[in-house]
Formats: sequence, C-alpha cells, structure tokens
Amino acid sequence: MQKTITEQNLRALIDLLVKKGTRVVGPRRAGSITLYEPLASGGELILGELPRRSAKEAFFPLCENILSFEKTTEGVKVADVDPSQFPETVIVGARPCDAAAPGILDAVFSWDYKDKFYLERRRKTTIIGLACTSCDDACFCTSVGLSPADPRGSDLFLTPLEGGGYACEAVTEKGEKLLAEFPQLFTDAEAAKALPQAEPAGEKLDLARIKSWLDGNFENPLWAEISERCAGCGACAFVCPACHCFDIVDEGGETKGCRRKSWDACGFGKFTNHASGHNPRDAQPKRYRNRIMHKFKYYDDKFGKTLCTGCGRCIRACPVGIDIAAVLEEISKK
Amino acid sequence: MMKDGKTIPIMAEIAEVRSLSGDTSLFRLRFEEEENFHFLPGQFVQLSVPSGGEVPISIAGGPSDDRSLELCARRVGHVTTMLHSMGRGEKVGVRGPFGNGFPVGEMKGKDILLLAGGLGIAPLRSLLHYILAYREDYAAVTLMYGSREPDAILFREELAELSCRRDMRLLLTVDFLTDGPPGELACNVGLLPSLLKGFDLRPADTTAAVCGPPALYRCLTSELEALGIPDRSILLSLERRMKCGVGLCSHCAVGDLFCCTDGPVFRFSDIRGIEGAL
Repeated sequence: MQKTITEQNLRALIDLLVKKGTRVVGPRRAGSITLYEPLASGGELILGELPRRSAKEAFFPLCENILSFEKTTEGVKVADVDPSQFPETVIVGARPCDAAAPGILDAVFSWDYKDKFYLERRRKTTIIGLACTSCDDACFCTSVGLSPADPRGSDLFLTPLEGGGYACEAVTEKGEKLLAEFPQLFTDAEAAKALPQAEPAGEKLDLARIKSWLDGNFENPLWAEISERCAGCGACAFVCPACHCFDIVDEGGETKGCRRKSWDACGFGKFTNHASGHNPRDAQPKRYRNRIMHKFKYYDDKFGKTLCTGCGRCIRACPVGIDIAAVLEEISKK
Repeated sequence: MMKDGKTIPIMAEIAEVRSLSGDTSLFRLRFEEEENFHFLPGQFVQLSVPSGGEVPISIAGGPSDDRSLELCARRVGHVTTMLHSMGRGEKVGVRGPFGNGFPVGEMKGKDILLLAGGLGIAPLRSLLHYILAYREDYAAVTLMYGSREPDAILFREELAELSCRRDMRLLLTVDFLTDGPPGELACNVGLLPSLLKGFDLRPADTTAAVCGPPALYRCLTSELEALGIPDRSILLSLERRMKCGVGLCSHCAVGDLFCCTDGPVFRFSDIRGIEGAL
C-alpha cells in the first residue's frame, strides 16, 4: 500500500522534528528571495519555489571555520572543529536537481582524502525530495539525464497528488526510518493520481558526444566567443548544486584568529594565480573553458558522471545572459 | 583532533634562517611536539604563519632527522613577506607532507640528471641530498642549475662544495652577467637548456628531473626528448596554487588531475596530453 502525507502533516512533521532537536532545512523566505535554510517551524516551508541557491550548503556550508588558533606565552594553540557535533539534519522539499547533487559531491569528498566536514554532515542528513510540477525556461534537468520526478538522491520522495497531499516513496533506509518514526502522519491510501510532472523544454543532450568534442577541443574559438561576455563574477558557481571549489583563508589578528573554508569559483581571475604573478589560467576564456571542461569532461573522466544536474540556476543568475544549456546544445551539434 | 597532519597544522619553531639571496632564504624548522615528519623529496607542505595564512612550499632539505624540515622561500606574497620578517624561535604551522614526491625507488640504478631553474632548485636539492645519502644506489649524477644572474644563485656555498665532489657533476649557468664580481663558482653564460648541448649522456638509462619557471618546461622537455630520453623518464615538478592539499578544492587542477595529490611530480608521458598542463 502506498503512503501519502497531507501538506498539513508535512508541516507537522517539520514541527515534530524541530521539537526533538533535529535541524530541518527547507525552502524558506529569506528577505526577498527563497533559500534552503533551517526552519523554525513547518509554517515557514515554501513549497512552490526553487530556492535561489542549491541545497548543497546543508553539507558544504558557504563558509565555515575549520580551526582556530591562539598565541599564548607558551606557544601557538590550535583547536579544530569536532564534526561529531554536527546536528542530525533533515532537508525537506529538495527538488530532484538538488537531491541529486550530494550523489555527485560524495565522490569528490571521498575519492582519496575523506573530508570529515562533508562526510559527517552527509551521513547525518536525510533528504525528503519533492517532484516538480512546474518549471521555467532555465530548467534543463531532463537534458542532462534527470527528471522533475526523479527520486534518485532522495531518501524519501514526495510526489504531489491531484486534490492535494503527496505520495511518499521511501527510496532508502533513511527514508523508511522516517516513515516508521512518524506513522501517525502518513496514511495508507490507494494511489491517487499524481499531478503531471513539469516538462522542461530542452531536448535531451548527448552528453557522450559533448564529452568527445571536449576531448578534442581544448583550443577552440568557441571559448573566447562565449567568455567575451563573462564578467568573471562567479555567480554561476555560487548557485550551482555541484560546484565545489573552495578557498582557505586565515582571519584574525596577531594573537588569535581562525581558518575559514569558503566557496570559491574557477571563474575568478585570481583562482589559479601564483604569488609570483604567474597564472596558468590568465584570461577569462581559459577560466570559462575550465568550468565547462570540469563539469562535462574532467569529472566524467574521473568519476564517470556529469557535474551538473540541470537546475538552471547559473542561467538565471548570470548577469550577462550566458546560458550553459545553449552552450551545451551548440557543442552537441558540432 | 584530526591529527593526521592533513587538516590541522603541526606547530614548528624556526630553528635557523639562512639568507640565500636578496629575496630568498632557507628556513630550518623544528617540530615542537614529538612528531615524526617523514617525507619524500618532491613533496610539499602548507606553511602557515599565524594570522597570515598558508602557502604551499616544496621541501628543500634531504632526509635527516625526522623532527626538522628545510623550506626555501622567496619573499613574494604576503605570507612569505611575513615569514621573512620572522626569526629564530618564532612559531609557524605545517600541514603535510603532501603530494607524491619523486619516485626515488624506481630511479635506482639510473643516471640522474637534475635540471633546476631559479627557485626550482629547492625540491631538486631535496632530491639531490636524498640521492647523495644513498649514492651507491644510483649511477651518474648531474645537477644543472640555471639562475637569472650571478647574485640570484642560491646555495652558493653548498654548490662550491658540490663542485669538488668526484661522485657527481655540477654545471651552472646564468642568463646574463652583471657588473658585480663573478664569484668563485665556475659558471656558463646562457639559458639552462644550453648546458645540454654536447652533454654526454646515456638516454635510455637516464631519469631527468626538472623544476623551474613555467617557460622552462616546454623548452626543456623537447630538448630532453631530442636527446633520446623517453618521456616517461622525464619528471616534472609542477607549480600550482595548492590550497587544501588533499585533492578537494580544485585550485591546482591540471586537467582531471590534481597537482597536490597526483603530483606535484608528473611524468612528462602522463601530462603531455593534458592541454594547459605546461
């Protein structure tokens, strides 16, 4: 028998989780925009919008302290962060393009070095995904092999039903555990009809063909053509669910301070700059090329997947109108 | 504590500072705690100056005792400027060692040709010290070292000693002469690749290790191949802006490889196909 949950009970679930001390993250009004943020109550959950930034910051915060230091008379004391203190977290209402991202990032943060910051947060996070019934011009998840109703990456997956409420699919053990923990909120029901899923406009891209073009076109006039407009602002990387470059900087004074890890962007001019002034990617076309190469070639070479979920955020955020889906389509036709 | 040395710096004391040129000094660090610091020549560390930040620096010393470390740093950015203002007894942090280092085991029995340009002498000095410590394991050993001008030659006293050794060859060159006294070191005038002209080597049995400014690699790799050294025996220590040191942050990406974990020592055969690597 299929499980369903009403919207009211979904909000009640958030309240119950918050009450028992779980950090619940979901789309929430933040000033004039919507972001995935900790929810104080179920009433704060925004259900109809794709948040401006992705859900990756639940595992990989925009900025975090990774250690602190203090100079004392006896020397310099260094204290680190204890990842066991990271809270149990439930992400509610992650769209398929966001729910799919951790599956991509897991490989990055564990392929060699096991990054405890990421992995511990990931281990403690349950994702309640939500199928999309609407989309906009920038959405292109179907072009990169996902879909608005793709449960992959979610632990529990919700599909909006005609007449309200959601069908609940336990995708993983974590999802089953959640169903079992709050049985009073879920109802056994004959499958009501699901609302039709969103239909992003773009054609499915031939990613293998794109990769094979990238394999042979490190030098190509296309890079300069696209990046003539690129302002190098890095907005695309900051809204991306899969981008994971970061910087490490020390902040503080002579006697005490902390080391912070914060998101970075390969589009920034100084990203690869050496202290000597030598810069391996010394012009914007080289940096834009790296963005595309990393997502659709290098990551694929290394992990056999694409570093993009088609959320379309970079398209919406770009101040000069660079459209990665259009770029990929152009490449796929070459 | 995540005491794997990868995330949290180990504190060290500056035990000695030796000025090598107008802007470059050798810092000998001594670890405070009972830490054993094992490394291979060619590996690097992330050196932090409290409140200044971190910089990746190659290890310049050979294997001595496990509690000290030599780093050769040029005063060029804000962290190295702070470092250069520090003296004996002051504290710095060290993460690492990172990277693969030179394949010293595989190089055994080979003729070793070290080609250093400028500050690129640092990791090759570490390799040379290692090789000289296990001298009988290696065949002919040659260091070719090019500097911009006589005043920029680093490790002058050591070079003078090396030039007297009978178990290795030392060839020096400067790009140009200046008005100053030429010093006691015998020195060719010309770019580093000019030292290879007429140099007698056994290409099939030679491993070449190169470190220097970016322009040097493109030029030297073709010269070395022209001499018949196979591309897999040409080892290049690359410079990138390493940050995390553990293959995550992507600052040092070379194609789908990371300089910090897959390198910084690469075989020419492994990276010649990666555009933008050299």
